Amino acid sequence: MDHSFPQKVLEHLFSFIDSNKDRNAISLVSKSWYEIERRSRKKIFIGNCYAVSPTTVIKRFPELRSITLKGKPHFADFNLVPDGWGGYVYTWIEAMAVSVPLLEEIRLKRMVVTDESLELIAKSFKNFKVLVFISCDGFSTDGLEAIASNCRNLKELNLQESEVEDLSGDWLCYFPDSYTSLVSLNISCLNNEVNLSALEALLGRCPNLQTLCLNHAVPLDKLPSLLSQCPQLVELGTGVYSTEEMHPDVLSSLITAFSGCKQLKSLSGFWNVLPSYLPALYPICSRLTSLNLSYAIIQSSDIVKLIGQCPNLLRLWVLDYIEDVGLEAVAASCKDLQELRVFPSDPSCLELNNALTERGLVSVSKGCPKLQSVLYFCRQMSNAALSAIAQIRPNLTRFRLCILEPHTPDYLTLQPLDSGFGAIVEHCKDLQRLSLSGLLTDRVFEYIGTHAKKLEMLSVAFAGDSDLGLHYVLSGCENLRKLEIRDCPFGDEALLANAAKLETMRSLWMSSCSVSYGACKLLGQKMPKLNVEVIDESGPPDSRPDSCPVEKLYIYRSIAGPRLDMPGFVWTMGDDSSRKLELDVAGVEAQFRNL
Amino acid sequence: MELQLGLALPIHSSIDGFNHSGSGCSENKKYVKNKRSYEESFGHFLKPLPLLVWSGQPNEEDDRNKKMNTNIHTLNNEGENHLVGWPPIKSWRKKELHDQQHHGHIRIDHRMQGNENQDRRLRPLYVKVNMEGVAIGRQVNLRLYNSYHTLKDSLINMFVKYQNFEEDGANYTLIFQNKQGDWLLTEHIPWQSFIGTVRRLAILGNEKMKIFDKY
Repeated sequence: MDHSFPQKVLEHLFSFIDSNKDRNAISLVSKSWYEIERRSRKKIFIGNCYAVSPTTVIKRFPELRSITLKGKPHFADFNLVPDGWGGYVYTWIEAMAVSVPLLEEIRLKRMVVTDESLELIAKSFKNFKVLVFISCDGFSTDGLEAIASNCRNLKELNLQESEVEDLSGDWLCYFPDSYTSLVSLNISCLNNEVNLSALEALLGRCPNLQTLCLNHAVPLDKLPSLLSQCPQLVELGTGVYSTEEMHPDVLSSLITAFSGCKQLKSLSGFWNVLPSYLPALYPICSRLTSLNLSYAIIQSSDIVKLIGQCPNLLRLWVLDYIEDVGLEAVAASCKDLQELRVFPSDPSCLELNNALTERGLVSVSKGCPKLQSVLYFCRQMSNAALSAIAQIRPNLTRFRLCILEPHTPDYLTLQPLDSGFGAIVEHCKDLQRLSLSGLLTDRVFEYIGTHAKKLEMLSVAFAGDSDLGLHYVLSGCENLRKLEIRDCPFGDEALLANAAKLETMRSLWMSSCSVSYGACKLLGQKMPKLNVEVIDESGPPDSRPDSCPVEKLYIYRSIAGPRLDMPGFVWTMGDDSSRKLELDVAGVEAQFRNL
Repeated sequence: MELQLGLALPIHSSIDGFNHSGSGCSENKKYVKNKRSYEESFGHFLKPLPLLVWSGQPNEEDDRNKKMNTNIHTLNNEGENHLVGWPPIKSWRKKELHDQQHHGHIRIDHRMQGNENQDRRLRPLYVKVNMEGVAIGRQVNLRLYNSYHTLKDSLINMFVKYQNFEEDGANYTLIFQNKQGDWLLTEHIPWQSFIGTVRRLAILGNEKMKIFDKY
């Protein structure tokens, strides 16, 4: 059938297809479709940087212009992955510098970037436009100097939540006067002051600037003058939102500045809030679609006053200072709300906080018909509440609940929360992401395996009774891509029985569980398309009996074979010893290079 | 003469040399038993404001903990026990909140020259306040006050507003928890030192305070 379509026509048709999911499907139709598709794909997404080698990617997609790479496992965000684990981007940059000189965009998540990598990017890609580093580390402001000096066409520089060694605020001065193409700048993670006059000049000469996220070192009294340089801003992250003492003139200049930003839709920042300055936002509240107050230590009454004026809010991130009463106000005012995240203000505190409970979440579920995505930290939950939420909001696609104390039962019945989460997976048929917490038995996993057919990512902690729990999930969840587990009594049986399933997933993380070294070895030997990596900081697992449980286990599918850059505390299972020696040497070299 | 409100509870006479911040395992056990007796006596009060600094070690007798495998507990800077990586909050976020809440100012890299002092001074200092008999605690910015008198009055007014009863400041005593986790009377420390070390506040009725007068 495809012979009747000239290649040019197919190429033209494929050029309308952006989604990689669709393109992947297209490439499976026939060999010629595969060829046409691969020669026209510009944007590549690689969910695990170790699943494929740079050379393979570049060879298959010669027209590559935009690459997204993810490195460390998600639990690295919570310090469960030791430093030095890996995720180095240098080999990718090196390969692309040679073969993809027209590369325009690099987006990284949880990867280790070095100044050397930044310098290589700066000098290798003449048309470089977008640099996004989410939760990355390993580089300093020196590397940013190279980017600023050389990337004449840079549109986006986003360092969201990355750890940057902040040596000097002058790197901003390296953007030449002739540079005017900035569209998005996010430096919220930087510790120290940036050169404010350089920043102001930069903002003034970039007419297309839409996003500006400042760091906490930018004083509030400077904000009005910065904003006056870019009134066309759509997204703003403030710097510190207070002054030593309240100054009425600062307040009035803020009001003027904000009123001048007619396109402003999204606000974040709010480090150190002095509530008296919040009224400056009132003039723009009605236009806001996204509000991130998750770093703002302010009382519920102040939050409510603000949110009460934001009827068009789609996304709200906030601390638990909002309390149930504040969430009721959200339910009443924000009828279009799609995403809610409530973070804990004092996560280590053991006392029961009666101000933010399950009731807040139930209110929002009841009042906001478009609610799809929830991240909620609290200290108590009940099956009744979860059931109610599930039935009222079957359109939920992301549901992450974190009850702060592990093993907390339903506070009303003292039963496990199995049936509550069961209701969630049963009613929310399009659920893609789920995080569990509280007291849970194998039962909940039975429900998940039975009902959560669209589930792609599951996070489990301190749950389950036996291998049966893991078995239910691996055998039942057809669309599961990522599974991360900590502190659960899951062992060898379920893992080995469902080994084939692991090849259909991106990755599996298990830490502080009961998987034995012997099982890991077996899995590694039997499943050549999987990299089975054991992480153990207490020494080589060889020195202990095979029946000993491993500390941490990370299994992922890969066509690149075992990686070469492992640190001393990571072992790949299934290699014979001579190859392991080669790899060890290469690994040490690679690590040395990346230091 | 500062009043140390430690774990040496009025009921049991094991005060001397009892240092709760450095206790070993066996003392924790004894401590847990003490906690229960204290709860019996001051039940309703204890809910919003545990005067005890429990180390957070899982009680070995607790059934559900038998199911847990290795829990990696570490001590953070404040000597509190934590499970590694729990709750699941990005370290970046934890740092930010921690800096705001405990230091009241923004962390600045040592290497930064000049402007250091400017940045370190007088950011809002929010601390949590609990009042006896009130379940919900409040946050207050201590930078807005310069004396115990104004602070106490203001706090009592704030709570009274939400509780709908009249109260006279004279019936209450203000106590605070310092950086070391000890609960102390405010009257015996100069305001500036107080600001430098305060982590939490509590307002107790004078009836409760009488029990501690023994010590």
